[in-house]
Order: sequence, then C-alpha cells, then structure tokens
Amino acid sequence: MATAHAATPGVAGPPGRRPLLTLLRRPTAVKLLALALIAAVAVPVVHARWSGAPWPGALTVDLTAPLGEVNDWIIANRDSHPLFLYFLGHLSNAVVLSVRGVYLLLLALGWAGVTAVAAVMAWRAAGSRLALTAAVSFVVCGLLGMWVPTMQTLALMVVAVLASVALGVLLGLAAGLSDRTFRALRPVLDTMQVLPAFAYLLPVALVFGIGVPGAVLATVVYAAPPMARLTALGLRGADPGVMEAVSSLGATGRQRLLTARLPLARKELLLGLNQTIMMALSMAVIASVIGAGGLGDRVYQALSSVDVGAALAAGIPIVLLAVVLDRTTEAAGRRVGAEPTGPAVLRGARGWGLAAVIVAAVVVVGRFTGGRIWPEGAIVAVAGPVNTAKEWMVDHLYTGVPVIGGTADWAAHFTNWILNPLRSGLQGLPWWSVLLIVAALAWTIGTWRTALTAVLALAAIGVLGVWEPSMDTLSQVVAAVAVTLVIGFATAVGAARSERFERLLRPVLDVFQTMPQFVYLIPVVALFGVGRAPAAAAAVVYALPAVIRITTQGLRGVDPAAMECARSLGATRGQQLRQVQLPLARPALLLAVNQGVVLVLAVVIIGALVGSGGLGYLVVLGLAQGDLATGLVAGAAIVCLGLMLDRVTQPTTRTARKES
Amino acid sequence: MTATDTPVFAVGNLWKVFGPKADRVPGGEHAELSPAELRERTGCTAAVRDVSFDVRKGEVFVVMGLSGSGKSTLVRCLTRLIEPTSGTLAIDGEDVLAMDRTRLRELRRHRAAMVFQHFGLLPHRTVLDNVAYGLEIQGLGRAERRRRAAGLVEKVGLAGLEGRRPSQLSGGQQQRVGLARALAVDPSVLLFDEPFSALDPLTRREMQDEVVRLHREEGRTMVFVTHDLSEALRLGTRIALMRDGGIVQLGTPEEIVGSPADDYVRAFVRDVPREQVLTVAGAMRPPAAGEGERGPAVRPDATVSEAIEAVARSGGPAARVMDNGRLVGVVDHACLLGVVAGTQAANPREVAA
Repeated sequence: MATAHAATPGVAGPPGRRPLLTLLRRPTAVKLLALALIAAVAVPVVHARWSGAPWPGALTVDLTAPLGEVNDWIIANRDSHPLFLYFLGHLSNAVVLSVRGVYLLLLALGWAGVTAVAAVMAWRAAGSRLALTAAVSFVVCGLLGMWVPTMQTLALMVVAVLASVALGVLLGLAAGLSDRTFRALRPVLDTMQVLPAFAYLLPVALVFGIGVPGAVLATVVYAAPPMARLTALGLRGADPGVMEAVSSLGATGRQRLLTARLPLARKELLLGLNQTIMMALSMAVIASVIGAGGLGDRVYQALSSVDVGAALAAGIPIVLLAVVLDRTTEAAGRRVGAEPTGPAVLRGARGWGLAAVIVAAVVVVGRFTGGRIWPEGAIVAVAGPVNTAKEWMVDHLYTGVPVIGGTADWAAHFTNWILNPLRSGLQGLPWWSVLLIVAALAWTIGTWRTALTAVLALAAIGVLGVWEPSMDTLSQVVAAVAVTLVIGFATAVGAARSERFERLLRPVLDVFQTMPQFVYLIPVVALFGVGRAPAAAAAVVYALPAVIRITTQGLRGVDPAAMECARSLGATRGQQLRQVQLPLARPALLLAVNQGVVLVLAVVIIGALVGSGGLGYLVVLGLAQGDLATGLVAGAAIVCLGLMLDRVTQPTTRTARKES
Repeated sequence: MTATDTPVFAVGNLWKVFGPKADRVPGGEHAELSPAELRERTGCTAAVRDVSFDVRKGEVFVVMGLSGSGKSTLVRCLTRLIEPTSGTLAIDGEDVLAMDRTRLRELRRHRAAMVFQHFGLLPHRTVLDNVAYGLEIQGLGRAERRRRAAGLVEKVGLAGLEGRRPSQLSGGQQQRVGLARALAVDPSVLLFDEPFSALDPLTRREMQDEVVRLHREEGRTMVFVTHDLSEALRLGTRIALMRDGGIVQLGTPEEIVGSPADDYVRAFVRDVPREQVLTVAGAMRPPAAGEGERGPAVRPDATVSEAIEAVARSGGPAARVMDNGRLVGVVDHACLLGVVAGTQAANPREVAA
C-alpha cells in the first residue's frame, strides 16, 4: 500500500491498527470519515421526515407573493415616494441625461468624426497598428448597417465605464489604504466576480424598471468590482522599499499617495480599467434583456426569432468593439513605465495637440461632405447571404452527413446520452444526497468553511422552491464543465509541450477571451439550432480559453529543476507529466477547474435565450411577462448556484496565495 | 557641553521590541533574557536592546553586525522610520522622540537622509526626477529642483544618464542615484543601510571609494550600516559591533581588531589582516639609545604593513616612528612580526579625538 510509507516506524502502532492509523493521517480520509459520521446520524432522521427525491415542500419558503407585493409597491410609488423622488429618481434622470448627452455628441461628431477619435486615441495610447484596427473596425460597423446601434451601445458604455471606474477607484482607495476595509470588501468583491451577469439584472429591473437607467446601473455594479479589486491590490502591492525611501525623505501622507503609491500601481490600475471595460461591454450587451437597446438588443431580437444573419450583423460590431477596446487598453498598460518611443515631436502634449487637430479637421470635413449618419447606400447587407448560407447548412450539415453524422445529430446525441441522464439523475437523487455530495467535494478540495458555504447555498436553492430547474441548470453545467476540462487539459498538455503549438494557439485564445459571452450564442444557434446542447456548446467554447491558458501556464511554471531532476533519472515524457508536472501544477489545475465552472455557469444561464431552460429561462420569463417575483427568485437561486459552484471548486491554496 | 561638541546623534538606552506588549520588556523582568528565552516567555523579539552611543560631527560611524543583529532596525530608529520602544534619542541636542509629525517630517526632509540597500527608486521617474524627488517633497519649484538635481547627478558620476529610468541602469548606477537623491536635500547627516550589499564586489569597491571621496570632500557626518567587516574597517572612523540587538564593542577599527572585547568579536576579526589595520603607534616600543638617528621614518598612524615595507626596503633592523619631527618610538622586526602573528600584546594607541 502506497500510504504505508507515510507511517514512520517509530509512531506506528501494532500491526493490526496500522492501516487505520495510516488512513487517519490522510486529511481527506479524516474529512470524509467525519462527513460519513454526520450523515449516518442525520440522514435517517431527515429521510424519515421528508422522504422523496425533490426538495420537500415543507422546507420551502414561497417568496413570490411578498416579492410581488414589493414589485407592486415600487410600481405604485415610483412617482410619489420620497426615496424615488429625491434619490433614485435623480439617479435615474442623471443616467438618462448623460447617456443621451454622450449619444448626441457621438452623432454630432458624425461617423467620420467618431472613427477619427477612436483611431487617434488608439494611436496615442497604443500605437499606429491599433489606430488602423480601430478605424477599420468602426468603418465595418457602419458597413454592416449598425452605426446607430453601435453608437447607442457606445454611449451607454462610456457612461457606465466612467461611473464604474469612479466607483471602483473610490472603493479601491478605501480598501487599499485601510486593512479593515480590505478585509471586509475582499470576499464581497471576490464573490461578485463569480456571479453570472443575469443575476444582476432582476434587482435592478425591480427598482428602476425596464430601460436605460437600469441597464447602466446593472453594468456599473457588474463592472466596478475588478477596478476596485485591482486598485486595492495595486495600492497594497507597492514596493515597501520604495515606500520607506519616500517616507525617509519626509513625504506627507498625501504626497506618498500621489507621488508614489498611485504611480507605482499604474499597471494594476490600467489592468483594472481593461477588465472593467470588457465586463461593462459584456454586461451592456446582455442588459438588452432589461432594455439597454443598441447592439445587444439587435442580437437579442434576432436570436428570439432565430434570425442568424441579423444576429451576426449585430454580433460582429460587438466583437470588433471588444477587440479594439481590449487591445488598446492592454497595449497602454504594457507601455506604462517603458521609454517613450517614436519621434520626439509626437511625444507628450504636442502629440495630443496634433491628435486634437486631426480630429477637428476630420469632423469639419465630414460635416461638409457627408451626413452625420452612415450613408444608406454604403451598407452591405450581410443578413440575407448569411441566412442563405445557414439554410444550406441546415440542409446539408445538420444531419445525414456520411460517417460523422450532422451537427444536429451531435446535439441530439449530446442531449439524449449525456444531458438527459444527468438531469434525471440529479433530479431523481434524494435532495439530501446531493447536499452530501457537494459537502464531500467541497471539503476534499477546500476547507470546512467552503464546504459549509456550498451546502448552505445549495440548501437555500431548495428553500427558495426552485430545486428542479436548478438541478436542470446544474446538469448542464456539470456536462459542459466535463467537456471543457477534457478538451482544455488535453490542449494544454500539448501546448505546454510544443512551443510551436502554443504560438499557433495564442492569437486564437486572445480573440476568444476577448469576446463577450452573449456573442457565443450566435454561431452555436447557426450550427446546432436551439436547445440545451447549443447552450452547453457555447459555454464550452467560452470557458475553454481560460482553462487552456491557466493550465498551460501551470504546467510551464513547474520548477525546471524538478523537471531536470526527473529527466536525469531517466523518466519518460509520460512519467514526467504524471509524476512531476501534474502534481506540481495542482494549484493551477484546480484554479482552471474553478474558472471553468464559473465561466460555464455564466453562459449556461444566458443560454436560456436560445432555449436551454433551467433558471435562466425563469429569469427571461419573469422579465418577458412582467412577473418580476418569479425572476427574482430565480435570480437569487442563480446567485446561490454560482456561490455553491465556486466554493465547491475553491482550492485552499487560492486564498493562501493571495494573502502572501 | 559647548555647541561644537554636541553629538549629531545621542542615543541612550534605546530599545526596539517587536511583539505583543512590547513596551513592558525594556527595564522589566525579562530585559536580561537571551533572545530565544525572551521569545519563548513573551513572544517578543528585541531587535535593539539597550543601545547607547554618540555619533560625533564629521565622523563615519559604522554599525556592523550579521543579519538579524538589529543594525538595520537601529538605523531606522534614528529618524523614527521605526518607532523605538524606549530610550532617549537626540539629534544635535534636540529630542527626536518628542517631535510631533510636522517636526519629524522637517527632520527627515532637511537633516537626515537615507540610502537604502535596495535603492528604493521610483521606477516611473527618470534619474533626474528621482534625484529631485526629495526637493519636490520639500515643495521646491520644478526648475530650481531640476537645476540642483542636475549638479548632483554630475557629482555622483551619472552625467548623461539624466533621462534614463532606474530599470535601465546597473545596480551600481542605481545606488548612485540613491546617493544623489540623499545628497540633494543637503542633510547634516547621511544614513546608509547596507547600501552596497546588493552590488557585485568590484562595483562595491568603487562605491566605497565614492563614499570615502565624498566624506573627504564634504566632511559630512555619516552613519553606515553594513555586515561586511572589510567595508566597516575601510570606511569607519568608529565601529559599533552589534549582536542580538546589543552593542558588543564600540571603538576604532584598530581597537576592534587589536583588542577584541570578547570571543565573539575575536572570532569575527580573526581573518582580518591585522597588519593592514593596526598602526605602528600600537606596535612600537620606546627607542633605545642611538636608535633615533638611523632607519626610515614612519608616522604614528601608518599601518604596520606600511612600516614592514619601509623596514624591508631600508634593509635595516627597525624604523623610527616620527610624530611631527619628534621621535616617539621604534618598530623593529620583533614588534612588526608580533603584530602579524597576533602574539603581540594588545596595546592599541589611545583613541585620538
């Protein structure tokens, strides 16, 4: 027995008791044993009172009635109650006014002006190549006939990002400068980052109703955490040696912050800005469900009528916006601290002056030569041809392709052979056994705290009375995660081994990681139709890049000395992988699983828009029928499910590493 | 005490204890415990324990000890970058521990500047702006501080590199920037915390020469922390040797090497080439009749190795020790060999003021 080696002869008991003692030295065994003891006592009692597979009705609390009352009260009092009159109303008006203002400004600049501004800003921040990318991207948006929706989304984004950054920096400053605030804020921010975007929509819709204010505020709440987190981490991570030197020169607290701590955190601040912008874009698109308008709305409308061509025409601008925004802010982050390059004439204030002149010239020329809106004649209608292509695909690829079958066949197989058994299995299992499985998993991977949180979150789902749809969603998540991990780990092992494969893979991963989740639904609908299988496919594609990336980095980050040692002992490549790389990269693998689960859940939930059912469907249904109470309960269940899945896969090392 | 001989720093019974209820340790029942016992009984670590010394104007006061001996903590206590637990501390006769935040800031801005082991440069600023940083903190205008900084950049031998970022410089160059930044505020005392430990041996030697040159040119008071004995002997006017937070011996390099206070110091200085540290003043014997006329002349503060060279070149049996033309003693083969072999009785010359 391999474990027998662990027992040193000195402390081992008599031969008969040795296996037990050895077993007790393994923490996992102890945890499982403790859990089995608890179960042995609790299960018979629980089973006797509430038998049966689904969550017992006696243990649920129906929140729909009180929530419905709250909803009615809000609708009735929206124009009269002081809370709305003096606070929320002003907030809502301010948001509407600023979005409207930015939108009008963008329209006033005209398409040429906006393109010039984007190109010039990209040039100043990131260089001429990105300036070209930005210009081409905006022109493509116009060509696709999406100029006005693009400007609507952009206006909403500008306001939401500015508010997110302001909020995030304030929170980050508080948490970065005070230990107590940091300790209080960090778990909240960590949790907010693992929750699916859909969970944020309902509470906002409840208070602000359907429309732009709610969409902007949901976006702000969703996008501010990364800014706050990275600001705090950046401020706290300031080189203590530098800070001491600054103090030794007699700097005041303000001087320390402004001349040292903030500049030292510039990289983190820009990374936070990058993440905030990307999350804001992702949310601004999804928030079309609560009336954000713009590009997301076009995709949403097209998807609900399965009009792939129209969805693609609106989806491409979203991807282009994402790529331009991501690459520009990322390049700006990389440039921080580097020597300024390029001709001296273009550096600093003079460069910006030149930029302003170029923009002004383009705007004036644009106003005199053409209209402000993209000319009707210069629109390339892609929806028609795309739909024709899709029809062809439906006819030729969906089914009956010799040997490999068709995409619709695959989807049907995946649904019938994997999703259905998994769903009926989860829904058929006694509810307490699901709790036990979750507890066992969470405790083996993490600590008793994560296990407790996970179990409580799952129990809360039962109490909310949405056990069945939650198990439906959970089954999709489990299936999609399994597929993601198999493909992801296999690809990562290949990428870690072959430098060339990784170089080929990198740009692909870059693009895929940039795209907002919503966009993934378009191609899967084209390929697989609607249902649970396409949603799972979208989830897999969305989660794969992160899983591959984290795993590859983990495998590559293995101590080269340990690898060299294994090689010098004559280990084969398989032995090196199994005995050195995988064990040493365990923290990275667990992190990859955790990320995979969180990302998959996010897309499985919005998969409701292409017919994946489950909790996401309840949210969409609630919004569509104005039955916010149902939606809110489902939203709360999504939060609990997200929390549970994150905690189950949360390795102990994750928190430990962050502390150090 | 007149104004001229007021010490730059006067440190009395200074303690710095880390840990719970640290303020109870100095002067308490646990004050005499060994470090291990103290940690076991109270959970506290005494980084500086009951240290007293004066730093005199114009000297290079070296605090020397192995890592963990408390020397870096001690030098940070001098400007209260680390708050001392108890004791007295005065700069130019002014009580540092009684200073409020504003006056402490004034002290750090104008009177004591520090050079750090890991440089502590601001990575986003150019060399020039790093050097000018202390002046910026003081509120000096941009043109003026840049003008003054440019002079210092030149002085430490970095002319032409003003526009570089710290990351583009070698370790030695970075420390020159650190030195220039400290000098820029024209402090009355310079504090060095193991400034050259992170540098390679050749650069270290170069930087030590730089410090010697600066001290010779400006006569600025310096407190220099190091774990490198040869560096301490090269630079120090006086050396305080620390162990476990306390000062084991305080004296000139010659006193430390010539008459170690205990076995710890003796073990420490065992490998030092004694003839290069000890002076003939400590090795000489009274002149016998007739010895005053012959042989080469050496000064009393010449090292023994210089005397050996002089005697060897002359071919005679001994050298005369002449102080301002007056014969004060004679060093012969036996005296000189005694120093080299370490058999000569410890008899260092009295510390000259």
